[in-house]
Amino acid sequence: MEIKIFLTILFSTIFINNYVLSQTLGICPFLGVSKKTDSAAGMGFAVIFVMTIASIITYFIYKYILLRYDIVYLRTIAFILVIASIVQLVEMAINKLSPVLYRALGIFLPLITTNCAVLGVAVLNVESGFITSEYGLLMTMVQGFGAGVGFLLALMLMSGIRERLETADIPFNLKGMPITFIIAGLLSLAFMGFAGMSF
Amino acid sequence: MKEIGKSTTILAVVTLIASLLLASIYALTKDRIAFLESEKEKNALAVVLPGFTIVETRTKDDSSQYWVAEKKSKNGETIKGYAFISEASGYSGTIRCMIGVDHSLTILGISILQQTETPGLGARSVEIASKYTFWDVITGSAKDEGEQLPWFQKQFQQLSGSDPISIVKKGDWNQNMADELRETNSVSAITGATITTKAIVTCIEKGLNEYSAIINE
Amino acid sequence: MSVKKEFFKGLVDKNPVMVLGIGLCPALAVTTSVSNALWMMLATTFVLTCSNILVSLVKNIIPAHVRIPVFITIIATFVTVVEIVLKAYQPEVYTSLGIFIPLIVVNCMILGRAEEFASRNGVFMSIVDALGMGIGFGLTLTVLAFFRETLGANKLFGYTLIPGFEPAGIMTVAPGAFITLGLMLWAMNSIMTSRKKH
Repeated sequence: MEIKIFLTILFSTIFINNYVLSQTLGICPFLGVSKKTDSAAGMGFAVIFVMTIASIITYFIYKYILLRYDIVYLRTIAFILVIASIVQLVEMAINKLSPVLYRALGIFLPLITTNCAVLGVAVLNVESGFITSEYGLLMTMVQGFGAGVGFLLALMLMSGIRERLETADIPFNLKGMPITFIIAGLLSLAFMGFAGMSF
Repeated sequence: MKEIGKSTTILAVVTLIASLLLASIYALTKDRIAFLESEKEKNALAVVLPGFTIVETRTKDDSSQYWVAEKKSKNGETIKGYAFISEASGYSGTIRCMIGVDHSLTILGISILQQTETPGLGARSVEIASKYTFWDVITGSAKDEGEQLPWFQKQFQQLSGSDPISIVKKGDWNQNMADELRETNSVSAITGATITTKAIVTCIEKGLNEYSAIINE
Repeated sequence: MSVKKEFFKGLVDKNPVMVLGIGLCPALAVTTSVSNALWMMLATTFVLTCSNILVSLVKNIIPAHVRIPVFITIIATFVTVVEIVLKAYQPEVYTSLGIFIPLIVVNCMILGRAEEFASRNGVFMSIVDALGMGIGFGLTLTVLAFFRETLGANKLFGYTLIPGFEPAGIMTVAPGAFITLGLMLWAMNSIMTSRKKH
């Protein structure tokens, strides 16, 4: 049944093909905002939000403008401009509608434009042939949402470990970035275990 | 308000120039890209239907294309061959392959058209193992490669498409294990990339299921 | 401001990957083979140089508040040029770099240089800066790819190094990328500290 397709997409974008840990997308914010669990959660939710909306909007742009007028080669330029505008609009909308949410997510939103996972999910929606398939819109939505959840999960795990690392006794030269990368490597190794799962 | 007008104009002009530039570059390279695509299809057809000549290109259900080919056998009979394209999801992304079969659904050859599997693992399904090492290449003792087809794709030749294809873990394929694998209708998996192997087998079986009715006609 | 200094800062003091920690996604993703790393270096340096030239030419015409969208458009245009040209003339490179070609747009290094350097300096200096940064980025990728390809696939430029040797496949996948880069950063930190002591 169709529901199985969506569950497969959701599960595989969160665990098997986790954008951060197995596709190495969105590494800059992953390392940048994973020092504290609070900010990691804020960033994660902002990314889920933007990714889902970006997936939906790029779906329409691709299907009804780029494909229809045979200008698929303008994909990159169209997508990045759309994403940049979405981020701006979302920022303004949240600011107007919910100042509380704005205070929690606001500072992370501008950072998302250059988060390659967002453009990545838009491009991957096209490359995996979702846009031309029957349930295209739902599939892209699920993939966008799943990719965001996967990002949040990776960010939360990492920030939890990094908070504990503060008190750990690490060799001086290994402190900071080097140990963070090695931990990311171990996490990514753990996520490889999901690869054996199939439906 | 005047500011907004000015900014909008500037942005519009910039994007217009950008799209014009890209449109002209696209127009310059369009033919070459189309040529590469058709060349790729031609090469793939030659691999999956060795020795056959394409007599007809048909479409199934108005969307997917398939090819009908013919070959004269040694005793003068005309053998028909069919080639079609099938897709399945691999370890990371879609795998597209072209499959060539004869009328009894014996696989004549397969060719992987598109894959995004992990380099060094799943991507080995499309790699031709070089006989030479890096040192041979720099010392200049490497000559032309004799092999034209990746071993992984080669082992599908002559397998029966009407029976299920099983997967065994025997390491890299070589001529010595060919007969044994053919008898059991199985293929040797790529080491460390069982998912890719399964996906390719699924892709082939899915395609055979879809087209077997047409071929049996 | 000397040309030499501006060029070498990208290679050492302000190396994008090792010191500034930007452009990490392509650094981790495409370094499965040395040839991929070199093509990535070429593509990124091309986009960076062109965008730096153009940004430094138009810096006085563009009003401050539409600066970023204009820069992004300029960068995306050159990325698309690279995409189309690779697809037409190097289809194999195009497929093996995959989605990381369009993702050059969001390599923070390029927007960062446009904003930080090219919009404040002349054309010539911007070119020097772009070349230094691009090559610095590419060299890091090449070193990382060298370790990953030799250890993970027992190959170099696609040719086997030691026949019959079973490579550590983990190096070619994501964990190998993270850990190798971590170890490279550790090595660099150690060299830096020991230099400071002297």
